[in-house]
Amino acid sequence: MNPELITDNLSYFLFGAWPNGGAMGGLLLTLWMSFVACILASILGLAGGIALTMGSPGLRAALESAIAVLRGIPVIMLIFWCYFLLPVLFGLNVPGVATVIAALALINAAYLSQAVRAGLAAIGPGQWHAGLALGLTRWKTLRLVILPQGLRIMLPSFINQWVTLIKDTSLAFIVGVPELTMVSGQVNNREQVYPLQIYLFTAILYFLLCAGLSTFARQSERWWNPRHKGARHA
Amino acid sequence: MKKALLTALALSLISGLAMADRLDDIKKNGVLRAAVFDSNPPFGFLDGKTQKINGLDVEYAEAIAKKIGVKLELVPTNPANRIPLLASGKADLVAANFTITDERAKQVDFSQPYFATGARFIAKKGALKTAEQLSGLRVGVDKGTTQEILLRDKYPKTTVVAYDDTPLAFAALRNGNVQAISQDDAKLIALLAQAPDKTKYEVSPFALSREYEGVGLPKGETRLVALVNETLVQLEKSGEARKIYDRWFGPKTKAPLARDFKIGDKTE
Repeated sequence: MNPELITDNLSYFLFGAWPNGGAMGGLLLTLWMSFVACILASILGLAGGIALTMGSPGLRAALESAIAVLRGIPVIMLIFWCYFLLPVLFGLNVPGVATVIAALALINAAYLSQAVRAGLAAIGPGQWHAGLALGLTRWKTLRLVILPQGLRIMLPSFINQWVTLIKDTSLAFIVGVPELTMVSGQVNNREQVYPLQIYLFTAILYFLLCAGLSTFARQSERWWNPRHKGARHA
Repeated sequence: MKKALLTALALSLISGLAMADRLDDIKKNGVLRAAVFDSNPPFGFLDGKTQKINGLDVEYAEAIAKKIGVKLELVPTNPANRIPLLASGKADLVAANFTITDERAKQVDFSQPYFATGARFIAKKGALKTAEQLSGLRVGVDKGTTQEILLRDKYPKTTVVAYDDTPLAFAALRNGNVQAISQDDAKLIALLAQAPDKTKYEVSPFALSREYEGVGLPKGETRLVALVNETLVQLEKSGEARKIYDRWFGPKTKAPLARDFKIGDKTE
């Protein structure tokens, strides 16, 4: 192992060309794209799942087909097509980072919609009937009775999807977005004979990122779940 | 699939006609977006000292941006993305070891050549002496390069394995996945010169072709092509082209290589 290999290039691995007046890159760009895409995917997925539960049959059918299409395309293809073919087909020129964020948000929202629908369905008709019997509207029942319980059930699915999303940002190299995997490739191609060290370091960074998120999420799940709380106090 | 691509191409041609001249757009935006390699020393690579992309092709892109009087924005590319970047309007030009071929000229326009090379090979010392030995070998190439096309066409008995980039192909050679890799000789000589294990390998004594590299430009941008050509001629006249060459291939560099082609020379 050759520690200078990592220390000399550390700032490039972490921030890309940013400290030298270039665009943001490296781990920081991976974090930024993951953060924005996770939030967008969660909002869209929640909206999609609710629409699948509450929407009219027409809306549900349309959503189901959109989800089927998105789930049926490899992420790398969606990124590639959005980046190179949207400008050709519609004259829409979306920058690389935005393309990747949009593609990851859409595909993960498709998966999350199903998780949200399943989470809502798991609550059971009794709770719905109870809400309606109290004089609440369907939407109020959803907001006050069903969602607070459903979200707890869905949380593990959300964490799964977030971790997957973080790892999928590495596909951005296909359109030249300088995230962690791409800058590692650049350093590796210059140094030539240390792929093991370089990609091991990169893998550790990804692992820390994903493991950190999982631990944090598991912790919040515990605080949130009244049963765990009860168990702790007992 | 094919039909969709054709429709896409037709649409791009129509929209291309409707758009303003690209040179005007570049001036208006104040930025020239040049696609360059980020992983291929010494043409375009990440400079370890400055942590910026630098190289011979990058210097040509800089000269063109200076000529227009705008800022230069580098768009990193691999070999396979060069034509898509131009076709989708993501880059205004490609300065990335781009060999001029008739097939490519159907999709993009080229400036006059500013660099000449030939397709050669890197293999273990003594393993590859003549082109006949290529039959039955596994040879690594870069996806979407002229070497890939040439080997698949003319050497059907050679197993061609396509990689994303030359250093990756070289890694495959080191690991024994392939027995040789093929690229432009200038690039191979520079690659080998920087390799820590260079004593084990050598560049083949024979070349399969003579190739000329030019600046790739979007189809039909005549004013931009004229400006790039004019810049290249001026660089040669002022001696700047030789200086650029010497910075990367001159006698004091790690990969000295005699300059056997000047801008404006007759091509074979």
